[in-house]
Amino acid sequence: MATAEQTVGLKIREAGWLSTFQDLGREHSEHMGVPCGGAADQHSASVANILVGNLRTGTCIETMGGRFSFTPDAPVLIAVTGAPADVTVNGEAAAMWEPVCVPAGARVIIANARGGMRNYLAFNGTLATGLFMGSAAPEARMGFPQQIGVGQDLQLATSYAGFEHPYLSQPLFRLPVPVPAFSPGTWHIDIVDGPETGAAPGIRELLACREYTVTAKSNHVGLRLDGPVVHPEGLGEIVSHGVPIGAFEIPHGDELIILGRYRTLTAGYPIVAFATKASLPMLGQARPGQKMTFRWVSNDEAVERYREQQRLLTVLEERVRSLFGAVRLPHASVQAARPAAA
Amino acid sequence: MNLQPAPEQPTQRLLDIEATPFGDSGLMLRVAASTAEERQAGSRLIRELVFDLQPHGLLDVVAGVDSVLVEFDCLAVSHGQLAQTIRLAAAGGARVAGGLGAAGGPAAAGGPEKTAAELFEIPVVVSEAFSPDLPGVADELGISQEAVLGILESTELSINLLASAMAPMMGSLPFPGQVSRCREPRTNVDPGSVMVAGTSAIIQPFPGPSGWKVIGRTPLTVCDIKEDPATSYAPGDRVRFRVVPESEWEALEGQFLRPAAANSRGTTDGNR
Repeated sequence: MATAEQTVGLKIREAGWLSTFQDLGREHSEHMGVPCGGAADQHSASVANILVGNLRTGTCIETMGGRFSFTPDAPVLIAVTGAPADVTVNGEAAAMWEPVCVPAGARVIIANARGGMRNYLAFNGTLATGLFMGSAAPEARMGFPQQIGVGQDLQLATSYAGFEHPYLSQPLFRLPVPVPAFSPGTWHIDIVDGPETGAAPGIRELLACREYTVTAKSNHVGLRLDGPVVHPEGLGEIVSHGVPIGAFEIPHGDELIILGRYRTLTAGYPIVAFATKASLPMLGQARPGQKMTFRWVSNDEAVERYREQQRLLTVLEERVRSLFGAVRLPHASVQAARPAAA
Repeated sequence: MNLQPAPEQPTQRLLDIEATPFGDSGLMLRVAASTAEERQAGSRLIRELVFDLQPHGLLDVVAGVDSVLVEFDCLAVSHGQLAQTIRLAAAGGARVAGGLGAAGGPAAAGGPEKTAAELFEIPVVVSEAFSPDLPGVADELGISQEAVLGILESTELSINLLASAMAPMMGSLPFPGQVSRCREPRTNVDPGSVMVAGTSAIIQPFPGPSGWKVIGRTPLTVCDIKEDPATSYAPGDRVRFRVVPESEWEALEGQFLRPAAANSRGTTDGNR
């Protein structure tokens, strides 16, 4: 049921190892020297927001490890995505990758994440938080940590006011949700050529057939991987240049770095490959110890996979919009279109 | 076409732009030129051009020392289409700039840097603690420490780009040679540190790692996200460093860096 927008308080009971406000990151900030940042797993963050009727770019909460729990003081509509985890509402198991109706005063717990690094929790409506350069994404280095702590009271502006289903206490939405595999074994990551691939003889074959392991030195700046590398030869000094997310750098030591969304924007290390845009969300979920193999693909294949990923998100968006319209749940697209009250 | 440069105008030539795919959603642009100076000037022109043009599918731009990385939506545009758009604009833009030369002036290349260049005067304190690499830099260049600081103070630098965390990267210092980077980058350099490498200078806005050589520290805050915008400088602005005695540190510490004109106006109003 949709009503006039009201403010709901969310009491944070447990904050996990690291929980922050998050969104898809900054736009047009990198020419100012500020990395785009944002959800490392953009797919899961997008789906969480879509499932609660928000725009993909809405502010959500990213949790990493441990137990995160909260209690709303009024009904809220939520969705939890990302790494497989145990989600409960008042002790009852609740599904991930689905909209979940939470009654006022219920305790919601997200715990035991496994097979991946991050969970995304979205709420129908708008979470109150500061923005830096238009985004709620943390930029800790510049003094914008966005961390959520135990005991904190968050505020949510939402038009959701509970939802009653005639037959089921927990409504069953049948939505075409693209859920990533999070397979327990080795992950396969698609890559395309880099500018220095040719200068490192043998790196193409190594990346194609050997297994690499994410190490504990990894962070939001980049994943560091153990595995065989070849140092490019005869390049001279590479002057600092822009590096995209997903660049495979070989530093002076024997390791491989895959740059993440909080990379330093320029670097002088040779780049021997790039992860495809479609494979970045999985890289954003890789934990220390995760094993991965790489598969060279053509640029056309890379673009096609990304197109398919985006198509599935658009299909889901359409279905959620029509479903929410049919059962009269509040949806961001409707609210945006509605003229302001006189 | 009139190839005669207008008096005191830099020669405008067609840019020979090299475009290299950098992943499925990136395109690296460089100017084919023989000298480092020409490549740097060329990359700046490309950056201004891309800002002005805002080509379809553009997501963001990362300026390098002599290159420009363009990040784009690979579902909206391909590497080839984007490169062609930028080359066509470069060909057209170069003609326009050449034609306007005398009348329009260099500001015609505008973009977000259209506003008149500001001048910043930045105080620097030099001390044993703040300038750990000054002796090494002097040794490497074969000049005295005083001479290094003399060059820093007597040169009006130009902000070429904003590097990591809005750090102003400036060029160029007329050193008798290139300053190398630290063999082992420091894991943490204090904010305000004034650093050099090659013939460029940079100021560390926030704590963080750096491989640049630290030769001084400014008491001013150069970047503060509570200010809007977080910095008062932009690429194209000019900078002059002034070595001040350590006794001035306390009075200046934490003040937000603003253009010299704004400061001197404030001082004039307040004191006279």
